[in-house]
Amino acid sequence: MIRKAPSHASERRVLGILSAAVDGILWLPRPVLTVLSFVLFIILWWLGTAIFPNSGFIPTPGEVGFRAVNMFSRHDLVDGIGASMLRVLVGLVLGTVSGVIIGLLMGRSRLVSALIDPVFQLLRNLSPTAMIPIALVWFGIGESSKYFLIFWGTFFIVAVNTTAGTQATPQTRIRAAQCLGATQTRIFFTVVLPSALPYIIAGVRLGVASAFMTIIPAELLAAQEGLGALLQQASLNGQIDRMFVVLIIIAVLGFSTDRLVQYLAENVLRRYTSYQSEQ
Amino acid sequence: MVNSPIVELQDVNKTFGTGRQAYRALDRCSLTIEKGEFVCLLGPSGCGKSTLLNIVAGFERPTSGTVQFEGMPIVGPSPRRVVCFQDSMQAIFPWKTVRNNINYALSVRRVARGERAEIIERCLASTGLSNHADKYPTELSGGMRQRLQISRALAVNPETLLMDEPFGALDAMTRTQMQNELLRVWEATSKSILFITHDIDESLLLADRICVMNKGPDSRIIESIKLTRSRPRELYDRELSEIGHHIKDLLGQHDGAGRLGDGK
Repeated sequence: MIRKAPSHASERRVLGILSAAVDGILWLPRPVLTVLSFVLFIILWWLGTAIFPNSGFIPTPGEVGFRAVNMFSRHDLVDGIGASMLRVLVGLVLGTVSGVIIGLLMGRSRLVSALIDPVFQLLRNLSPTAMIPIALVWFGIGESSKYFLIFWGTFFIVAVNTTAGTQATPQTRIRAAQCLGATQTRIFFTVVLPSALPYIIAGVRLGVASAFMTIIPAELLAAQEGLGALLQQASLNGQIDRMFVVLIIIAVLGFSTDRLVQYLAENVLRRYTSYQSEQ
Repeated sequence: MVNSPIVELQDVNKTFGTGRQAYRALDRCSLTIEKGEFVCLLGPSGCGKSTLLNIVAGFERPTSGTVQFEGMPIVGPSPRRVVCFQDSMQAIFPWKTVRNNINYALSVRRVARGERAEIIERCLASTGLSNHADKYPTELSGGMRQRLQISRALAVNPETLLMDEPFGALDAMTRTQMQNELLRVWEATSKSILFITHDIDESLLLADRICVMNKGPDSRIIESIKLTRSRPRELYDRELSEIGHHIKDLLGQHDGAGRLGDGK
């Protein structure tokens, strides 16, 4: 009994220090926590490769870093990133613009909605990956098949969100504009469209995610350049470190693009999005 | 006040839906508003007050009966009859500043650009918003947003203001303040006002005439009470409190509270 008391006390002290440490870490600024998260991940990764050396399946962080520098110093990686990003951009713009137009029409016109929606609901089940074979037949292995596939992956998402946004426009706001004497056309552009913007932006963000999910399989199957093509070449050559570099790049690019869209939405279009939380 | 009628509703029926789901909100409802008159439409929630206002605004058509404004049938919304809604955040444009909300109304009315600034300043001043012209609605309190709504309505110089429980979402102190402001604006502009409320005290303080509606379905105006007391009014006034008691009797509820519940 006499000996146990101090051990309890020391246990409690250890627990106290641990919980203080947890509290301390949570108090760190957000960017520091982000870096910490990556550092932890790399340490775990490195430990894994240290415990199972030369397995051949997982390169060490050092090998991947070295390979990344090596690939960046030659042109293939930069060119690959450029090719993939251009395809994403073109497809995204095509899909977003047409998605917004069709979405607005469907949201505002019962006739358009009745005629388009059933087919729409059916077609949107076809993932971009499912469309790769037909895209190759229709557009060949050139750029247009990639544009088409990205378009396919973003169009439906943006259109569905835009329709939802249009229909979520408060009736009161439309009526208020009617009272002042605004015409239907004017209400469409000055009331419905701005009210739908938060939904459209949400749709574009989902579209960006979809575009990055689509571009790699599209390039894996048929492309001379681009990140998917690099991945495929590395796989054929059994260069696992190169594959790791490409995978990391894809993840970082997707993340950055999403953040860019979010940043634009929160700053350039802040007036149209920021009142939401206060309603 | 011997004036010409501005709003005339004669035997208005309004049924929503058809067949078994049909709901008759209004049954042979008649109402006349004189020029410059302040009419309060009072009744429990769900009694068809808003339906009646929507018909006068032109948002909805009656199933039968005649609805006239300035002697002409009402066929749709018009800037002669501007509505102030209860939900100010939905009614105004949250992405426009106070000034630009009013400017929108003026640009819709095709007021020349050169004349707008002066009108905006006048409207802001008359509702006490001059110091808030460049704020966004999210930066305004609920009371100030209602001022903005009234201000924007005044900008298009309507004949009639249709107010759908505009102060219902405000706290008691702000509500009292807004009631006084509204009376001031009304006295200065001599607009006709149709004001919907379910607050007996509010109607006693504001109205020239209180039109009491019964609980739906089949609502109509069951009594129209003229108030002659001069403003500003005091609720503890004997005449007003007698009228208040009478209204509670009419609506079959006498729980001592000034506000009507859902009519149960």
